[in-house]
Amino acid sequence: MKILILNGNPDAGDRVLEGYMAALKERLDESGHQTDLVSLREKKIRPCTGCFGCWIKTPGTCIIPDDAIGIAGKYISSDMVILASPMVNGYFSSMLKNAIDRNIPVMHPHLEEVDGEVHHLKRYDSYPDIGILLKPEQSTDEEDIEIAKDLFRRMSINMRTNLRFIEFTDRPAAEVADAVDIH
Amino acid sequence: MQLTFINGSPRGEKGNTAKLMDNFVKGFLETPGNKCAVEYIVKHRKNPSVLKEIFYGSENVIIGFPLYADAMPGSVKEFLDAIIPAPAGAKIPSLGFMSQCGFPETGHLRYVERYLEKFTKRLGADYLGSIMKGGGEGLHMQPKFLVEKFFNGLHFLGKKFGETGKLDRDDLDRFARPEHLTPEQINGIIPFINKALWDEWMKENGALEKSFDRPYKK
Repeated sequence: MKILILNGNPDAGDRVLEGYMAALKERLDESGHQTDLVSLREKKIRPCTGCFGCWIKTPGTCIIPDDAIGIAGKYISSDMVILASPMVNGYFSSMLKNAIDRNIPVMHPHLEEVDGEVHHLKRYDSYPDIGILLKPEQSTDEEDIEIAKDLFRRMSINMRTNLRFIEFTDRPAAEVADAVDIH
Repeated sequence: MQLTFINGSPRGEKGNTAKLMDNFVKGFLETPGNKCAVEYIVKHRKNPSVLKEIFYGSENVIIGFPLYADAMPGSVKEFLDAIIPAPAGAKIPSLGFMSQCGFPETGHLRYVERYLEKFTKRLGADYLGSIMKGGGEGLHMQPKFLVEKFFNGLHFLGKKFGETGKLDRDDLDRFARPEHLTPEQINGIIPFINKALWDEWMKENGALEKSFDRPYKK
């Protein structure tokens, strides 16, 4: 599988988390996957301005010329995307959220019914499966985990994709990598 | 009573959140003595410390934003992360939220609402409640009576908040309707939004023929 890991760790000083990401990639590659580990910290990604240019002016292409376009291209060309981030106040880092917001060109503005709700139409035939990898913060409790899981499930429905797993970094990287094939 | 409305719309003053906010604030200001300051996250992005100071100098704060990928926009998350933890000795304002989405049903917003309530707890602030409403996109093409009902609802919530300092749960639930749509409503509304809103916008930009382009796939 072609696997893209979007590393939304904003803290270059967190060597433990960086090491975890590298170990995850290594193990996935060893298992025969082609893994692309992208550190969002090294990319220039401005926040989405809500201009709708990608839906009504240049359908499918964001009009802000920065690294988010290349990342959305990698996203749509992958079989699986792992969204990785430390939990920051119970959710993704803003760095990762900004990258996700800039990914909406892969959806179509039109709406359709999905399981009794209104959602966006697919622009592409298929989307990569999603995996979520989180590093809990000191204050993380059961309620945080439930809330975050719900937000990611909802996001996956709207992105018209299959949420394969939500894992936490207290599980060893090799185990998470091996579980990718099982999930 | 003092209120700071922090508008987190990436479109700033031109966004739909601003239209909702304006009607709420108008109602709030009808009580003599009430004061409201309006700030935009998008204008403070390069130096969030100024807005952080304004936040902690307020009695009540409502943070408004449109729903992006089922949560707050990344730029709003930046601000939330900037205000927590509270500076030592700071007086923490009471905190509420306002969010809207383009989807016609409000149900989409209930997940982020739970997050926001927990965020408020994490900050140690009193939670005022969250004003949630679907159907916030394309207000310009919705029937006039619907838009008036929408804005009157916000005016009512703002007025009552201005009088009591509270957002009443029953009022919020009533304003939020429809929480979900029936299959008949969904089948009726989708073709209308697709044609009258999206296709019209694409047409205005000469992009309708390219509507289904797939430029990112190699």
